[in-house]
Amino acid sequence: MTQQEFNTVGQSVRRIDSYDKISGRAVYSVDVVVPGMAYAKLVPSPLPHALIKSIDASKARALPGVYAVLTAAELVNMETHYGSDKKDRPIVAMNKVRFQGEPVAAVAAVDLATAEAAAELVEVEYEALSAASDLTSALLPDAEPIHDSNYCHEYGYEWGDVDAAFAGCDRIFEDTFLFPMVYHYAMEPHTCVVSYEHDRIRTWTSAQHPFLVRAELARIFGMQLDQVQVVVPYVGGGYGSKSYTKIEPLVAALSREAGRPVRLAQSVEESMKTVRRHAARATIRTGVMNDGTFVARECLSYVDTGGYTDNGVRVTERISDRIVGPYIFDNVRVKSYGIYTNSTPAGSFRSIGGPQASWACESQTDIIAEALGIDPIQLRLKNLAKKGDEVRRGKRPLEGDLAPKLQMVLDKFGWDNYVREDPSPTVKRGIGFACNVTNSGASPTSTSLVRFHADGSSTVYIGTTEIGQGSRSVMAQIAAEELRIPLASIKVIGSDTDAVPYDRSTGSSRSTTLMGLAVHDAAVDVREQLLEIAAKHFETFADQIEAADGKATFKGESMTFGALVREMFGGSGGELMGRGYVTQNHASGRLTQDPVFWEVSIGAAEVEVDEDTGTVKLLRYVSASDPGKAINPKQVEGQDEGAAMQAIGHSMFEEMLFEDGQFLNPNLVDYRVPTFEDLPGEFETVLIEFGDGPGPYGSKGVGEGGIVCVAPAIANAIFNATGVRLRELPLTPERVWRAIEKSKQ
Amino acid sequence: MVQINQKITVAFNVNGGDVEIDVTPETALVDMLRDGLLLKGAKRSCDMQVCGACTVLVDGLPVSACTVPAFEVRGKSVTTIEGVAADDRMAGLTDAFIDNAAIQCGFCTPGMVLAAKSLLDRNPHPSEDEIKDYMRGNICRCTGYKKIVEAIQEAAQKAVQG
Amino acid sequence: MRPFRLYEPTTINETVATLSELGDDGKLYAGGTELLLAMKTGLLQYDGLVNVKTVPELEGVSYSNGTLTIGARATHSTVEHSADVLAHAPLIASVEHRVANVRVRNVGTVVGNLCFAEPHSDPGALLLLYEAEVDIASPSGTRSVSVEQLVVGPYETSLAGDELVTRVRVPLLPNGMRGAYLKFGYHHRPTLGVGAAVSVTDGKFLDVRLTLGSAPPKPTRMRDAEAVLRGAAVDDPAVAIEAGRIAAEGCDAIDDLHGSAEYKRHLVQVFVQRALAEAVERGVK
Repeated sequence: MTQQEFNTVGQSVRRIDSYDKISGRAVYSVDVVVPGMAYAKLVPSPLPHALIKSIDASKARALPGVYAVLTAAELVNMETHYGSDKKDRPIVAMNKVRFQGEPVAAVAAVDLATAEAAAELVEVEYEALSAASDLTSALLPDAEPIHDSNYCHEYGYEWGDVDAAFAGCDRIFEDTFLFPMVYHYAMEPHTCVVSYEHDRIRTWTSAQHPFLVRAELARIFGMQLDQVQVVVPYVGGGYGSKSYTKIEPLVAALSREAGRPVRLAQSVEESMKTVRRHAARATIRTGVMNDGTFVARECLSYVDTGGYTDNGVRVTERISDRIVGPYIFDNVRVKSYGIYTNSTPAGSFRSIGGPQASWACESQTDIIAEALGIDPIQLRLKNLAKKGDEVRRGKRPLEGDLAPKLQMVLDKFGWDNYVREDPSPTVKRGIGFACNVTNSGASPTSTSLVRFHADGSSTVYIGTTEIGQGSRSVMAQIAAEELRIPLASIKVIGSDTDAVPYDRSTGSSRSTTLMGLAVHDAAVDVREQLLEIAAKHFETFADQIEAADGKATFKGESMTFGALVREMFGGSGGELMGRGYVTQNHASGRLTQDPVFWEVSIGAAEVEVDEDTGTVKLLRYVSASDPGKAINPKQVEGQDEGAAMQAIGHSMFEEMLFEDGQFLNPNLVDYRVPTFEDLPGEFETVLIEFGDGPGPYGSKGVGEGGIVCVAPAIANAIFNATGVRLRELPLTPERVWRAIEKSKQ
Repeated sequence: MVQINQKITVAFNVNGGDVEIDVTPETALVDMLRDGLLLKGAKRSCDMQVCGACTVLVDGLPVSACTVPAFEVRGKSVTTIEGVAADDRMAGLTDAFIDNAAIQCGFCTPGMVLAAKSLLDRNPHPSEDEIKDYMRGNICRCTGYKKIVEAIQEAAQKAVQG
Repeated sequence: MRPFRLYEPTTINETVATLSELGDDGKLYAGGTELLLAMKTGLLQYDGLVNVKTVPELEGVSYSNGTLTIGARATHSTVEHSADVLAHAPLIASVEHRVANVRVRNVGTVVGNLCFAEPHSDPGALLLLYEAEVDIASPSGTRSVSVEQLVVGPYETSLAGDELVTRVRVPLLPNGMRGAYLKFGYHHRPTLGVGAAVSVTDGKFLDVRLTLGSAPPKPTRMRDAEAVLRGAAVDDPAVAIEAGRIAAEGCDAIDDLHGSAEYKRHLVQVFVQRALAEAVERGVK
């Protein structure tokens, strides 16, 4: 299909949630009011690591207006632990606390002020244990174990004859890189309302994966899936922070205890003590020939998953999957460990393990280029994977060549014609580049239902949560395209497990590809039904009928789709239903391999470094987004710009700081995120549309790639400007200044 | 000298209409608007006057409703996003946000629009740097800001042509 | 936030009498931009807040006889946009413009900022540059002290519990003296601010004032550094370097989220030189 044949696909149409959001009427979890609901307040542990000797909630319970206090003692007749891969997280702390801020108890009361007052009356006696709030201290042989040990997960793979290959290399490089703990700061903190009733649980929550929350609640409370309803209103930002199950089991248990609906609206501080990105330490050893040929790579990574596993298993795996980079090595040995520490549990965050891996591997690419005297772009091109290559042996080969994609970014940046102009002898400029491909972790399990009404309009049912990425609009565009009706005739219903069919999750840049296919198929199903009715009406074959502009036309005679529906039911009403099932055996044959697609990340940066203060100014940043086919180009750009800006945060200043397990900066005054003033002077996204994705119209996932390469591109640019190599993020002025000072000695 | 122990009556104008509501002294403006008047557009996020999600205009000036006490608006005019949305004269600004894809999750959007309105009220033709400077107190974690700058520029441009 | 009682006096006398009555249980409330944050997080708790915004006498910004007067109710925005400030001390307007964000400036007051004594803040170091003074009222009368004497440490002033700063008086810089103020930081609050004011005659520094904020525990006048500059040649870079060195040495910086003490002292050195250069430059213009 050529571009001209599309009606709405490929156009930057207005988001269908625009008016809701610009008018303030969009309902988020924080806006949900359920009649009779109580207000909850958590009782957090002040200590990062301690045994709980006793909890006395009698004073709190005696306070007028208090309905219930939930402690470990109340976790009876139910499963007590939850978690996506390892069910190691107690609903409230049991016997032991593993990070500062871990909920030890929770209060439900008539109003928030009463709940807050009661929370302060809960008396907890602790026996402090020594705390390890970073990788180094948690890995000490005599570190106090946080769980059975401090090792959470181990992962690795190998191919080739690594040791022999290293022995035959001209040069071997070994470097270690550090990536900090960072926080998503989705602007809506985790918020949840649960009504636990005798035969059902109703939940309104800011969750990205409502169906996984449903399954978790059903398991915990021994209910069937049909008894648990999870509604996700608009979500005020996700970026992974609201993936899997977070506060829902606690609120459900508290609602059961209180005998009424309970609302927990966390503060930003509480959410900063709920989830974060994994800090990482990655060591890469790379063997090369003098001509720049990459021969062997060995990587050892540690990721800090905090007090509980959360998504630590997958992140441990993903950093290893992504650290080899977009290059061909015949010999690879990769190993990674997830480590428990006494800090906020670490979960998903936009491209899990991706920024950590790329920070290491793409910084080292430039280190190698410098040492060999080879242009860093040429070194990359020499070793870059091509279409059909397996960057990870046994996994899906690359869908398209990377070199032309890199070139698009370089051209937009003006890389080849760059002329360096330093403003002064101590204020220097330079350019840097980085690229990677990341395996989407998406499972191909999505379903959609399309109802087609008797007036020619349609309602599309999706489980994809609207977290800002604009999926509702994209799904509407796909449905309108396939139903051959105007976009304005489409309504999208999302994220109520009682109403919409199953979708595994909203994450891993999966929705346009996988839910997009489900909606596409459901719409095609409806269209085929319409054509069958029309064929009967016109007494011809379905393939003789043209479907366009809401009408079926045969030999110059037309009938509206609505009229066809009415004719079928023989009256004024009725409706058609179309369904779309996406499994790995999808009819397209494009979903059989893992990963479902490779997401491409490319970035080029120009910086200006003030050597006297260490201040780095990002003058220009050109990013790339490779959606295969951009169904809504401005939204694709917006995803990429937002991802790159988040990366500017973790590259330049964002860092959660812990000292002996105490979280030092759990608020937005002391934890700084990017503002308007951090916009690079020039900030561009190149859209790459080669139609090489497995999704509808050759599309594939985007939204994570933009966050992957910013840090190494900036660090490479700083090196280009100053000759100083930084191996630890964030690149704060002090860190840069110290590195420059050290280089002078 | 007036002493208010528990209850204070706040009579003020909100989005063009006069209202009276009783609150306690410690009640934040955002809670009075959201819980008392069901104007849910203003959002509480950082709760420290950093993020701007709770921005409303008091006598035309943006403030952080998370921290400003409700009693401060006695006798004043408060504009919330609901008031902007109902005002046809504001369509140039709100349309510019929509058409430039300056909205993603939308949680910052009400505050962002009110801050932009306040900027354009004072400076109808802001430069890019002036936009970044004025808007630096409103955080958006989704868009990367570029499209919001473009939206404000377009709104200013349209107003000139208007 | 814990409930509190609100007191709304209409005169200065009523205000200080109420403060006196409440003792440690009461606190003055102006913009509340710092106070209410501390009360929300439970760092501070008061049973009663005394609202100065109901006292008309405390309003406004005015200018007369070479002195700007900023009333206790005047917000950062009022000062930033005041025609008097813009006409007579545009440096104050430009520094005020960079305080926090527009919402905080629309609510927070300059006097409240001084009295809260948050160390990571600009107005204190800026007003030191002008040798500003505050007028203080209490049930026993009035007194005046310099801003330097007012702020004694982090979150600490020399005010008694029943004292109210009614206004800050800012004498303009003397004839021929030009000021500059540079701030540095990458967090929400500044890491450092350096004020420099110089007058130059025959290529030599005639008079110099250097002030430092955010890096030390309180806004500080760097008199030792000033001393090496007076009478020295403006175009001798070694002099500015020496002044920076002395200022850095005298800076009582601590390690915190904004950086190590060592780095902050380095920054003092750099920004003293830059602020001096900018002040000299302004004098030339």
